[in-house]
Amino acid sequence: MNKAKNVAFSYSFLLPSFILTMVLGIYPMIWALRYMFYDYKGFGAERFVGLANFERVMRDQQFWESVANTFIYAGGKLLLSIPLALILAVILNWNIKGKNLLRAIFFMPTIISTAVMAVVFFTIFNSYNGILNQFLMKYLFIQNAVDWLGVDYAMLTVILVAVWGAVGNYMLLFLAGLQNIPQDVYESSALDGANKLQQFRYITIPMLGPVMQMIIMLAIINALKGYESIMVMTDGGPIGKTNVMFLYVYKLFFPPAGGAAATQIQEFGYGSAVAFITAVIVGIITILYFYGSRRMSQND
Amino acid sequence: MKIAWNTILWTFLIVVAFLTLFPVVITFLGSFKTNAELTAGATFLPADWQFSNYLEAWKQANFSTYTLNSLFVATASTLGTLLVASMAAYVVNRMDFIGKKIYVSLQAFTMFVAIGAVVLRPQFDLMIKLHLHESLWGVILILISAHASAFFILLSFMNGIPRELDEAARIDGCSPGRTFWRIIIPLLTPGLGVCALFAFRGAWNEYLLPFVFTLSKPELQTLTVGLANLKYGVAAASQTHFMMAGACLSILPILIAYIFANKSFMQMTAGSLKG
Repeated sequence: MNKAKNVAFSYSFLLPSFILTMVLGIYPMIWALRYMFYDYKGFGAERFVGLANFERVMRDQQFWESVANTFIYAGGKLLLSIPLALILAVILNWNIKGKNLLRAIFFMPTIISTAVMAVVFFTIFNSYNGILNQFLMKYLFIQNAVDWLGVDYAMLTVILVAVWGAVGNYMLLFLAGLQNIPQDVYESSALDGANKLQQFRYITIPMLGPVMQMIIMLAIINALKGYESIMVMTDGGPIGKTNVMFLYVYKLFFPPAGGAAATQIQEFGYGSAVAFITAVIVGIITILYFYGSRRMSQND
Repeated sequence: MKIAWNTILWTFLIVVAFLTLFPVVITFLGSFKTNAELTAGATFLPADWQFSNYLEAWKQANFSTYTLNSLFVATASTLGTLLVASMAAYVVNRMDFIGKKIYVSLQAFTMFVAIGAVVLRPQFDLMIKLHLHESLWGVILILISAHASAFFILLSFMNGIPRELDEAARIDGCSPGRTFWRIIIPLLTPGLGVCALFAFRGAWNEYLLPFVFTLSKPELQTLTVGLANLKYGVAAASQTHFMMAGACLSILPILIAYIFANKSFMQMTAGSLKG
């Protein structure tokens, strides 16, 4: 009828979405891309320093420790959650009693706030009077409270909490992938005398390949990016043992207000450079994984 | 052999189910215990059910304010997300205009590129300039701005609405705007429902964004923020029962929604794999 009018209408309907995306989604990224070349502490003058911030990143031992911690954290989370999620998905894809209820139970953690659960897990794992230590000392007669959030175990604890929150999500994604595998492949292999383990090894794993490649990639990115529950539970401590790289970036922009760490100051310019490097690290790992796992996406 | 296999299988499933449920159940039961019982009692069931914990948390620990703030943020940002995303999905799916592809790639881009906490700083400064940092509207706008996934979900639901319907409406002289409100929106209800569930859950559970925006304004804090602050407070050790009651206030609404609509929650996650 009236093409110009329709186009005008389209733009008017797109406008709210477009403005919000540009102003609150894209502009902050450009802001960071600009300030990574500046020395700017949130007040006073901003000074162009070229690549000085990046040189500082290279020498920043605390940052590289946080990168190492991120790898331990992400590695631990993946090694525990992916196999567990896959096993649960395979079992719940069989025709067993109560599979819908079990699916709902295993998926439940993903609907609850990470921060809220971090508070709960803090009261559970708290070394001094935590719920877990109370039970351990009462029923297993352990003499000394285990320092779950101390130097030795803090990383393990935050990994376990992360696994608790993640397994259900990946289980469900695996289930979606499993449901795309035709059931008659299993039936005919059962007729040929294949047992469940053989079916898993020679049918499920290969046919799940492409989906599995995507799920693991998603899991890697999520594991590298996660820091909310660590922030609430340990705040990166003790002595930086659970300080992961995205938490390190966060603290450069929002340094803690009280305590001994108050000497830290806001580092907008340097923080932007560190954030850029972390994004590059995540990008490199994603690409490396993608090349390394090419075989998974080839159905043969 | 079969019995042994079944025993192993069910032991495994029950252990995992127990570990999954334990933290939530212990929180629920703990919210009825006294602080002393929580920190030293080693009990599973409360010795004496303290229903007053909720009353005290509600009044003394400000959880009434936190709950109302959470409700406000989650409701407003859900409605905003649905409106903004459905309008965009409608014109992208049904109209022809220059720049459509660029817009769609822009949305996809924002979904995949994340650089962490950096973005909070310019977002915060921007809200100060717009004088939106004194209320929760700044938080709400930022939550609405992250509507890419809602957009893509609604886009796929739009495909399921026959084009003949809006063509017929147009022949009858119905304007595109009227067609959107009278024909598309009612038919888009299932998609909007799924998106609402997810937008609400996301906003209700959001922590960092409201935390950063309400650092110096306790009266604006949401449940997640108020709860986590209890942990940092000087009186933390004497307030474990408030933490448990507060955690329940945050968990229960979403858990009840999940019990009634767990299929929709799960369908959405599974769908994201294909989309």
